[in-house]
Amino acid sequence: MLTEQEIALARASMAFALENGAQKVRVTLNKSLMELFGMLNGELDKVTHALDRSMQVSLFVDGRFGSFSSNRLEEEGLKSFLLDAIDTVRTLEPDPARNLPDPARTVKDALSGQELGLYDPAYEGLTSEKRREFAFFSSVWARKAELEKGFTVISEEGEYSDSLFDSVVMDSNGLYARHTESSFEIGYEVTVEDPDGNRYASYWWDATPRLQDILPSLKTCSGKAVERAAAQIGPKDHPGGKCTVVVDSECASKFLTPVLNALGGYAVQQKNSFLLDKAGQQVFPERLTILDCPRSQGETGSRLYDSEGVATREFPIIDKGVITRYFINTYIAGKTGMEPTIEDATRPKVMPFGGCKTREDLIRKVGSGILITGFNGGNSNTSTGDFSYGIEGFAFEDGRITHPVREMLVTGNFIDLWNNLVATADDARRCMSKLIPTLAFANIDCNA
Amino acid sequence: MIHPKQHYLDLFQVGESQLDTLVAEALRHGGDYCDLFFENTTYGNLTLRDGIVNAAGRHIDYGVGIRVLCGEKTGYAYAESTALPDMLASARAAAAIADGTSAFYEHSVQADANGSRLVGRRFRGEPNPAADRYPVRIHWRSTDAATLIPFLQKLESAVQARDNRIVKIIATLVWQVTDVLMYNSLKELKYETRPMGMVSATAIFQQDGKIENKSVSRSFRTGVEMLTDGLVTEMADEVVKGIDDRFAARRPKGGQMPVVMVAGASGILLHEAMGHAFEADFNRKGTSIFSDKMGQRICAEGITIVDDGTLKGNRGALNFDDEGVPAQKTRMVEDGILTSYLHDRISARHYGVSPTGNGRRESFRYAPIPRMRATYMESGNARPEDIIASVPKGIYVDEFSNGQVKIGEGDFTFFVKSGFLIENGHLTAPVKDINIIGNGPQALRDIVAVGNDLVIDPGAWTCGKEQSAPVSCGIPTVLIGSLTVGGE
Repeated sequence: MLTEQEIALARASMAFALENGAQKVRVTLNKSLMELFGMLNGELDKVTHALDRSMQVSLFVDGRFGSFSSNRLEEEGLKSFLLDAIDTVRTLEPDPARNLPDPARTVKDALSGQELGLYDPAYEGLTSEKRREFAFFSSVWARKAELEKGFTVISEEGEYSDSLFDSVVMDSNGLYARHTESSFEIGYEVTVEDPDGNRYASYWWDATPRLQDILPSLKTCSGKAVERAAAQIGPKDHPGGKCTVVVDSECASKFLTPVLNALGGYAVQQKNSFLLDKAGQQVFPERLTILDCPRSQGETGSRLYDSEGVATREFPIIDKGVITRYFINTYIAGKTGMEPTIEDATRPKVMPFGGCKTREDLIRKVGSGILITGFNGGNSNTSTGDFSYGIEGFAFEDGRITHPVREMLVTGNFIDLWNNLVATADDARRCMSKLIPTLAFANIDCNA
Repeated sequence: MIHPKQHYLDLFQVGESQLDTLVAEALRHGGDYCDLFFENTTYGNLTLRDGIVNAAGRHIDYGVGIRVLCGEKTGYAYAESTALPDMLASARAAAAIADGTSAFYEHSVQADANGSRLVGRRFRGEPNPAADRYPVRIHWRSTDAATLIPFLQKLESAVQARDNRIVKIIATLVWQVTDVLMYNSLKELKYETRPMGMVSATAIFQQDGKIENKSVSRSFRTGVEMLTDGLVTEMADEVVKGIDDRFAARRPKGGQMPVVMVAGASGILLHEAMGHAFEADFNRKGTSIFSDKMGQRICAEGITIVDDGTLKGNRGALNFDDEGVPAQKTRMVEDGILTSYLHDRISARHYGVSPTGNGRRESFRYAPIPRMRATYMESGNARPEDIIASVPKGIYVDEFSNGQVKIGEGDFTFFVKSGFLIENGHLTAPVKDINIIGNGPQALRDIVAVGNDLVIDPGAWTCGKEQSAPVSCGIPTVLIGSLTVGGE
């Protein structure tokens, strides 16, 4: 989708910056096209067409650094913008840690942008009429009476969208890499009302790089949102206490993301990480392994390189409970003397264990507790790892869901939490870039 | 800041006749209203980390958004170029929402004069520099980084000097200046330049092997003149305030209990748990808990809640919203009665009322939706110390952080970063890292005392409802009779 002319402009901008005072330069050129058809209560409510372009320029001038961007991709205007940018960088204090990545670390196998199979040529064949048809087809509003069993569907809002993203990154050390990706998405939010006038809302969504793979979800997405909303009717208080907690794969990233953030070089360098000085140590149980799987063909979230152009590779982030390394970009490596890596986890995968396939299998295995299907507010302390989150979900006993719960919290510390991981299902959602199955933890504080 | 009209026409390389051409093209298939939103934004940022100002950036975002309304349906497209062919292509894409059957918006406006409630929909007239709510003496765009850097250095020194337990300081200065020009099929033309300055400081403290962090921010719609020595002192004092209590704080025992919220930043709970439910799009779609409560009592007499775009220099201030509707002070609740939702043009039309100037958007990439501006509860009569003294056992909330609300149900959860136990009418042990859970409308009904000390918080609050928008919030000291406090 990026044109040769646009890529040539990026090259010319890099050359211009080098000719006018910059010693090193990285240029990233992004372009995306998005079409959206939104539905409200069975009628077309919104049509959106969006075409975006932007150029980001990282400048290394006399030992100083600045990052600049513009979406006005006109040659003369960019020259003036770059001259101002170079002047701005010169006013900063020198920072010897700033540098481009070593060329030995940068990606060499991302030339066409389509190496990972994330671009579906079927995108080109889609018309406005077809997209409109997808949107109408996905709504269940016209047949909501068939779904209303003891409740009323009072609002259904959703959208079908697709997009094409194309990106090129190049630097003055010879890096050139491209990533092209299509995406097809469906999402619905539904509000239902019980006979007493109490309202319950929920959602469902799916996304995939291939058109063919989204088609089944067009049919089921809104109905699934209705089902999830209606399941919350009739919540009861739960006594709380130390409980076994099962966290649905849809929302389990709430517990993993803070751990990955704590492994980030920036948090470690700023001493704002509860995993400070823990690299190489057995912090988590032996049954926990988290792999980074960035190069899986055709899978959402796969990338051959990070934003610096550093090549990704498959490796264990946590290997049988041992933290293997922090994520150290070129800057943090320069600041700390640590060995550089890719800048962040790309497509982390919590490896399933315990023999359960589905969420239901897992609930049967652990017997009784609380099933968390969503979070509502709360926070975690990045320095200590303490957390407290509002939850929504269900109580279950003897392997069967009994009733929805209300006004509950889970509290604890992330290190303790993951040490209490007792089993997982094998049901990670492929539409997410973090592959986390439904998880079961023992002895978690649940407050009512 | 409001420049002459020609400044904006030149900036966007567009003539007035072209504006009409674009509107005509966008309405060619029968849409009944169209607006054009031209934007040119410059962002600048400086970061001080590890004792030096070592990162800077400047970013340009330029384009035009074209919206077509067909009844309450929206067609939206944008271009990052204001060349006429690119804008015409966007106009045609937005026009796709229309099916050729709609009546003209202009006709429904004509009907207003004949007694319907659709009054005040037209907002013609030139923007008035004398009434500008964004006072600027020193312009961000023409101030170079070298002039701004000493402010961050002073701020860092002032923070460091206040507490020897500080091991890291991060200070940032971010500014944004946005030129906008709007035109619509009612032939309303509006233009202005919106400034915004934001400063933040985060300190990381270490004591006996424990780490705590605290942040403070300030944001105003003004120019560089906001960067005063007084601001340095104010922020440095605030970032270290209460850190001894933070280290000493524990999670208390949880349960149902009264909660006193400190004046000022606690207004974020008002914004999240109640304010969103007043936004008319949630009500139009039937998803707000207040959608059938207009004109009814929803809380005690004496409680008045407003959303105010008229506070000069405030982060939520506007001369007019992103649909060209003049900003106003909108009372959603007067003496406990629900009196108004917050409207954009679509919802105002749906409800048959005038828009309230709440149609806002993150940028030209987004269609406007009803958004808050500066939302606060007006002062009551109680003295804050008397409110605390009236509580035998409860929680005093000093600082909230993450909050989340489910608009449909009104359920909210807020994280308390710091506060105190209240025992026998006195603040006693410090508490932290607890959640408060409740239901917005119920909590509103359970307010039993409102202090006489309204504070509108000057922090850099950003609302994230589908799109980002700068807002501010405020509240006097308030006692809620019963909320669920999650503790040990």
